[in-house]
Amino acid sequence: MKVITVTLNPALDREFIIEGFAVNAYHRIKTQDHMVMNPGGKGINVSMALAKLGVSSIAIGIIGGYTGRVLLTELNKTSPLISTSFVHIEEETRENIVIVDPVNHTMTSINSPGPRVDKKAVELLLKRYEIYLSRAEAVVLSGSLPQGLTGEIYGKMAKMAREKGRMVFFDMIDEYLTEALEICVPDVVKPDVRGSYTILQQRLESLEDYVEAAANLVKRGCKLVVVSYEIKNDVVATQDGVWLISTEEKVEPENILGAGDAYVAAMVYKRLTDRNTSMLETAKFGYAAALAKTKKLTKEMPEYDEIGEALNSCKLERLR
Amino acid sequence: MRVYDVMVRDVTAVTQEDSVENVVRIMATQFLSGVPVVTEDMRVIGFVSESDIIRAAIPGYFSLLQSTTFIPDMSQFLKMAAKLRDKPVREIMTHPPLVVNENASLAHVADLMIKHNVKILPVVDEHGRLLGVITRTNIVRAAMEGYL
Repeated sequence: MKVITVTLNPALDREFIIEGFAVNAYHRIKTQDHMVMNPGGKGINVSMALAKLGVSSIAIGIIGGYTGRVLLTELNKTSPLISTSFVHIEEETRENIVIVDPVNHTMTSINSPGPRVDKKAVELLLKRYEIYLSRAEAVVLSGSLPQGLTGEIYGKMAKMAREKGRMVFFDMIDEYLTEALEICVPDVVKPDVRGSYTILQQRLESLEDYVEAAANLVKRGCKLVVVSYEIKNDVVATQDGVWLISTEEKVEPENILGAGDAYVAAMVYKRLTDRNTSMLETAKFGYAAALAKTKKLTKEMPEYDEIGEALNSCKLERLR
Repeated sequence: MRVYDVMVRDVTAVTQEDSVENVVRIMATQFLSGVPVVTEDMRVIGFVSESDIIRAAIPGYFSLLQSTTFIPDMSQFLKMAAKLRDKPVREIMTHPPLVVNENASLAHVADLMIKHNVKILPVVDEHGRLLGVITRTNIVRAAMEGYL
């Protein structure tokens, strides 16, 4: 296993494809392939995307109840490149529902909060994590946290990984990021700004705000910072400057589910397979993976060749 | 067919300093009949099963009685079970453990399971590091599909 992906609040994802979806209306799903059930949560999605790129990983975290067992059974079937080790609790793992409407180009998501996790479960997880760190090269800490946990846990886990010389990737909301950064600075960070539009509690409105926020994270010690800007653009900051990555291709908003996780997985892949590649090239490869993912309606992760093809339509513009 | 084709890639494990209580919790919540014991670099150095725990909690001669109705006082068992909770796994684990390589044939694993009367075996790589587990059900399922 080369990578540890941590999913503290996994979910059983249920995707429904409904043409002409409307609230307060009766819908009949056309065929079985219009309803997909698969394991979810950012870390798990990254493991699935890494498997597509031929990288082995161990997915760890906390799952609970019957839903948790269904999730684990499905995950164990996904790929021989994914190993698992989840601490089991009694409260049920959450289910996330996504309704994709390819006619109106909408995606409606309903995400549940997840179970309450006790101290004992966290202790058990950290013990296992420490063992697995001995064999991993990189750690991905991403996604929401269950009730009872704060961003401090991400800081602690990052610190444990950095002390063993492992690469650390963050993909999380600002609330957790702010707390985690007090304990440890990761190598690569992709703040999840959906909803809050803040980084380190600073409001993001203009492009200059995004540039400033990304540059500030580099000043704090991050080697690469990627911030999503207006869906299909990304502000990328490294120690060498700040860039905007974009594309002229049309991105359908209903296809973005899992694109951020494909992005992170592709960056991990690039760092592991080509140590001499620049941080900017790493981000570009991640962007291309996300773009390739948006060609697929369901949460299916892109193949290497599809990412290569998408790379041709990535545009780079230096901002600072 | 090889172990690699049917094994469960779950690497849940404990260290030899973990308490028996932790092991029981893992077994109960994950419906496992045993858990591999690993070193810090994930080499399998032991295995702790339901039988190991029961053996440690019940005096040896009880197994000869064949029935709990001969046990005059359950309080002795309860006391021993309570004492066991905080003990480290190393005191009760099977060591050295029975393990199989991921490239072993299923027929070989089935033979081992029958000979040693075990339900689950840790699967390891060429360095003895844990890769997952294989259960009797995994083998029976493969056999039913004609792949043994």
